[in-house]
Amino acid sequence: MPPSRPAARIGRLALVALAMLWSGFPILLVVLSSLKPGREIFATPPSLFFTPTLEHYVRLWQVWPDFFLNMRNSLIVTIGASLLCVACSTLAGYVYARFHDRWLTVSAFGMIVMRMLPPIIVTLPLFPVVNALRINDTHILLIALYAAFFVSLSTWIMKAFIEKIPRELEEAARVDGATLPQILGRIILPLAANGILAAAVFVVVFAWNEYVFALIFTTRAAKTTPLVISEILSTVEGVDWGILFAAATVQLAPILIFVIAVQRYLITGLAAGSLKG
Amino acid sequence: MVAPAQVLLLAFILGPALYVVWISLQSWTYGRPPRFVGIANYAAILGDVAFWRAFWNTFVVTNAVVYGELLLGLGLALLMAGPVPGKRIVISILLAPYAITEVSAVVMWRFMLEPDVGMVNYALLSLGLGQIDWSADPVDALFVVSLLSIWHHVPFTFLILYAAVTTIPNELVEAATIDGASSWQNFWYVKLRLILPALLIAMMFRYIVAMRVFGEVWLLTEGGPARLTEVLAVYLYRQAFKYHEFGAASATGVAMLVISLLIALPYLHQMHRRMFGHAAV
Repeated sequence: MPPSRPAARIGRLALVALAMLWSGFPILLVVLSSLKPGREIFATPPSLFFTPTLEHYVRLWQVWPDFFLNMRNSLIVTIGASLLCVACSTLAGYVYARFHDRWLTVSAFGMIVMRMLPPIIVTLPLFPVVNALRINDTHILLIALYAAFFVSLSTWIMKAFIEKIPRELEEAARVDGATLPQILGRIILPLAANGILAAAVFVVVFAWNEYVFALIFTTRAAKTTPLVISEILSTVEGVDWGILFAAATVQLAPILIFVIAVQRYLITGLAAGSLKG
Repeated sequence: MVAPAQVLLLAFILGPALYVVWISLQSWTYGRPPRFVGIANYAAILGDVAFWRAFWNTFVVTNAVVYGELLLGLGLALLMAGPVPGKRIVISILLAPYAITEVSAVVMWRFMLEPDVGMVNYALLSLGLGQIDWSADPVDALFVVSLLSIWHHVPFTFLILYAAVTTIPNELVEAATIDGASSWQNFWYVKLRLILPALLIAMMFRYIVAMRVFGEVWLLTEGGPARLTEVLAVYLYRQAFKYHEFGAASATGVAMLVISLLIALPYLHQMHRRMFGHAAV
């Protein structure tokens, strides 16, 4: 690479700053505004220096007392869906990585095709069935739905990671009399741990943030946080922006920290799941 | 051992997807027994002005989002592949929108674009440029929907393209530079050719996901005013869960399904060839 001229360097830095502003500003704005006193929220120009207050968080607690129950629902659904999805994908990924026959290839191809289907269409046949079985508004329904829609990508990620584990390790263990569950538990799981994280990231983010299924299939008991935020947004008396920002901040903080912490798995997972066959 | 994964897929995706085709042939108001009507639902939606408006709105928004995102994502990927101080932190910030729920994304952009008082509209008004009136003007509303979809999903496109750009061997670019290629020629004849497969895959996945757009529209305008900003998913949702017409909604669902599969066809064809390899295809 030739050394770049100072002008090009400055231009590049300006573009980077602009890109960070574009991505980060809306998020920062919501977080900061959640700490502003009510009358300053719509101040123009927006005030940069203000005395932070927790009044909106307190009011969130008072006006939407169920909000923290909904957070708990989101947590249960997210953990449940990722465990279910990762468990199923690890088993399937192992099989697809190690065994090959025509039927397995057909079922693997079927998985890829199903990734193309728009999720909203399954709500139509499921809605009557779910009501008849009385499992609407339950955690288990959301868990199964979220896991199902990410099992294909996760299986692909697990397959890619397991293919990199040398077969010799398993064969040696088999000679020593290890059973399949032992091989999976003691060799595959620890060595594919990165793959498991990479697969989990996507379903965790999806389950924590999902809106359409939650809107259609939950009413009260299993309602998740994004749905409550949408209700705060559309209250008829006009939007109470302070409470809305507080709720959005509480919802986004944990998942944002999570995504930043695992960002390198996001990159490897995406490459393994969509770019490779 | 593939059974648990396949059972999930069959029970929650394939089974329902096939059943939708069957429901689409019935006249079925939810709560009453269904009645077989053949293709009447398809005839009904194809004759419905609202369906075609939803179709064209989806078409315009999807294309705006996909191409906007590819351009922005490619620009970011090329930018970040160069020397950037604090690269890890910058990438974290660029990925941040991926962690945000579409509901909060709507909250953020709506706040900035609130009529008269939102900071963007306030700034536009004080510059004498008028304002983005998404609550009354359908074109403005779809523009905001596209803008916020791009903001929300560009991390995905950026990541795929960034992964591709960083695998370009440096020697190739250097060799081209030595042979006298300008940076534009280097981009057009070397880099772009090498990342084309990733670009096409990102494009395919984004087309399929972008055409499902629901939350952004539903939370911003509910498809209004006067159903002018509906997209296909909102049209489907309104038919099923507001009017309880599951037959017509299913016909819309089948239309979305067919469009998705058509878009995915080249990718699926390629995967099929690669997976079945030497076996008879």
